[in-house]
Amino acid sequence: MRWIPRIELALIVACAGCAERIADPIPAAHPDDTSPKHGGTVHFASFGDIRGLDPATPSDALSAGMIAHIYSGVVDFDAAGKPIPDIAERWDISPDGLLYTFELRKGVIFHDGDEVVADDVKRSLERALHKDTPNPFSSFFESIEGYGDYSKGKTESLDSIKVLGRYTFSVRLAKRDAMFLSVFALPPSHPICKSGGNRYDDAFEPCGAGPFKVPPHGWDHGRSLTLQRHDRFFKPGQPYLDEIVWSFAMSPLTQRYQLEAGKLDGNRELSLVDALRFARDDRWKPFGSYEAENQIGAINMNIEVPPFDNVEVRRAVAAAIDREHVRLLKTPNLRALGRILPMSVTGEDESFPAQKHDLAAAREHMRRAGLPDGWPKPIPYLVARQGLDEQTAQLFQQQLEPIGLHLEIRLVNWPTYITLQHRRREVAISPGAWQQDFPDAADFFEPLFTTSAINDEDTNNTAFYSNKTLDELLSNARGEMDTKKRASMYREADAIICSDAPWAPVYAYRYFVVHQPYVRGYVPHIVWNEDMRTTWLDRAGSALEKHAGVLGSVFGGHP
Amino acid sequence: MMRHLARRLVWAVFIVWATTSLAFVVNNVLPSNPARMIAGPQARPQDVAKIRQQLGLDRPLIVQYGAFMKRLVHFAGASAPKEEHATCGTLGFLHVDFGRSYQKRQPVIKVIGERLPRTAGLALAALLIQVIVGTGLGAFAASRKGKLADHAAVTTSVLGISAPTFVTGLALQWLLAHRLAILPLDGFGQDAHEHLVCVILPALTLGIYGAAYYTRLVRDEMIGVMGQDHVRTARAKGVSRAGVWLKHGLRNALMPLVTMVGLDLGALLGGAIVTETLFRWPGIGALGVSAMLDRDGPMIMAIVIVSSTAIVLSNVFVDVAYALLDPRVRRAR
Repeated sequence: MRWIPRIELALIVACAGCAERIADPIPAAHPDDTSPKHGGTVHFASFGDIRGLDPATPSDALSAGMIAHIYSGVVDFDAAGKPIPDIAERWDISPDGLLYTFELRKGVIFHDGDEVVADDVKRSLERALHKDTPNPFSSFFESIEGYGDYSKGKTESLDSIKVLGRYTFSVRLAKRDAMFLSVFALPPSHPICKSGGNRYDDAFEPCGAGPFKVPPHGWDHGRSLTLQRHDRFFKPGQPYLDEIVWSFAMSPLTQRYQLEAGKLDGNRELSLVDALRFARDDRWKPFGSYEAENQIGAINMNIEVPPFDNVEVRRAVAAAIDREHVRLLKTPNLRALGRILPMSVTGEDESFPAQKHDLAAAREHMRRAGLPDGWPKPIPYLVARQGLDEQTAQLFQQQLEPIGLHLEIRLVNWPTYITLQHRRREVAISPGAWQQDFPDAADFFEPLFTTSAINDEDTNNTAFYSNKTLDELLSNARGEMDTKKRASMYREADAIICSDAPWAPVYAYRYFVVHQPYVRGYVPHIVWNEDMRTTWLDRAGSALEKHAGVLGSVFGGHP
Repeated sequence: MMRHLARRLVWAVFIVWATTSLAFVVNNVLPSNPARMIAGPQARPQDVAKIRQQLGLDRPLIVQYGAFMKRLVHFAGASAPKEEHATCGTLGFLHVDFGRSYQKRQPVIKVIGERLPRTAGLALAALLIQVIVGTGLGAFAASRKGKLADHAAVTTSVLGISAPTFVTGLALQWLLAHRLAILPLDGFGQDAHEHLVCVILPALTLGIYGAAYYTRLVRDEMIGVMGQDHVRTARAKGVSRAGVWLKHGLRNALMPLVTMVGLDLGALLGGAIVTETLFRWPGIGALGVSAMLDRDGPMIMAIVIVSSTAIVLSNVFVDVAYALLDPRVRRAR
């Protein structure tokens, strides 16, 4: 009787296959009219869930995007990721680069009706950086003078943040920091309403000065988040939408079904097959877009564990990997990459130093390492049970076999993987990955490759790579305020990493987003996910019924 | 009877305690780092260390275990400081405290209190389908033993048992929600009407598997019972065909079903992980998955306690039901 389930499966697959023509997109009501219209609710969904909406404790990319809708920052990022004034009207930087003076706009109103003033910025930042706040970004602010003592509870306030007037405040840094404005655009520095107090509390009710507010019971934990328009938002006319609704824990397949039915207005989490089909479908193609390539995937080699303590072996790995082959695993999302910095930081600059696939060179490196016949024992390759890493592991296993490195894939769950990989001398080789917090080269190089990032537990320098020249170069680059000089320093840093190869970068990752034609003005943001702050809807009233299905009204509306 | 019940309940408390302690050890001995899971994969070591300290995870394991058990069930008067008992569920002076979820940053008892009734609702709906369909189809197949209807019922039940719930669930979702659009794809709904509509697909997914199993069970039991002496006697006494089947056949054949229903109820109350996740049913099962993946210690412990309590109590229920339904069992005790 064992054939029965197979027949059942085959029938299901066959039925699904023959019926799977993607539904027509629902057209915009006025496709030629580009003037934004007010009103409407936009629906998006995610397989994930958010942990919190307190800007002091952002710990997942999903909630960071939503936080950007609820809270306006003193500083924001423009489309290219450059810091721009938001609540701030302007700022001045002292000639020594240590004192930042911010002038806030007048008339910026919190959701509770109070005006945003300089005191609120200081209070919110002190709350976020306090020793009792579970803020995973806290140490990003370490260049602020007095941060160390304050975050350890040795001082009661951050005296280096001075309120100079109702709308003016200054921040003094302990050292020059070219990344400071980007850091200041991160959620922990976003002002929150006075009701949020000056100390973190789990019971905090989200309240900021962003374009959308969380209505009472708007956050149904684990299920959905509803945001409503903040009528007194400081940017004239914005936002255009009345509401945004995010549903959580929705499978990618269900998201696709909902998109086709017109019940979701966009989708960022299409499966590989669906992403390919939407991206190639002439009806949907104009409404698909790629987010910035802001994540990298690599092979991480622990230089404290043989055979990767030998630079020639690491170079051999870097040369043996065929990145173009890996890209084919997930063509809509991957781009072959032989360097550390993705295109979100460098732009389309092909002149950056990069590792290249060259099998003959890889064999030559193994010969120079004194291992012409390869490493005699299997090398455990620790990988989390997670789609892409699991797949690339098998490819790497095949690609390193010709140079005599026999990877033995060890699959573990994500929490185990992340614990072991971040522990000293625990893992010889494993996938390396990094997603930008903001588009700045320092955000990649410093946590991943500096000596100061090495720790016995919880290190981000999982290769345990240490190079004094690189440390000095990166330190200088962090304090360099001249953009061109700074870029040139990171180019040099990239060359060092490509040569020493603690990582063999393999790909850059980007998300494909598709939306219904009536969703207008949606442009993927380089930092914030699903940024709908300037999105508007132009949906014809009757379109939904057309897509609801013949029996759609039998049981009433969709939940 | 009462002594037997009391003995079973004491044993149940011991089982729950042992399961809880074992889960605590396993959860903490495995290589994992809850602070890292909160902070995210890219957080810096100093920030992870700070969060670990805030959660008290830098203390020795035995100290953490002691603190957890001390808080789990305790007594507190009405004058006890509210902030010290903010994460407690109270029943008069009796407090139950699972702590605060690392990830959700809410009292665990509040989250469990929201989720458990949803899981219970789904479990009861699935069980209803299982019992009605399984009993009906099983009895029908037994009454047509060896005939086409019997073969059809047996084949259908084999299909139902063989298909994993994610296959059945996906197929039902595709057909009834996506293609025919007569049911919602997933979700829980906002009011009683929507809850009822939303529960149909997940309950069917779980129910089909259980119904298939019950069909086989009832059919085989019925065939066995119908061959027994008391049934022959009933027929000889002129009891109607329906009376023989229902009163003398089905009633006796349902005894094993009582065991299965009790055990299934316990298991379902622990959460149907795949089905709840697939249909976005916000119950204990889906919560358990995310808690495990996030190494959310307090939440894991609470789910283990709730699940093990449900299973142990359902065993006690089966024991009691057996004694009530079968005089032979009652007399033996």
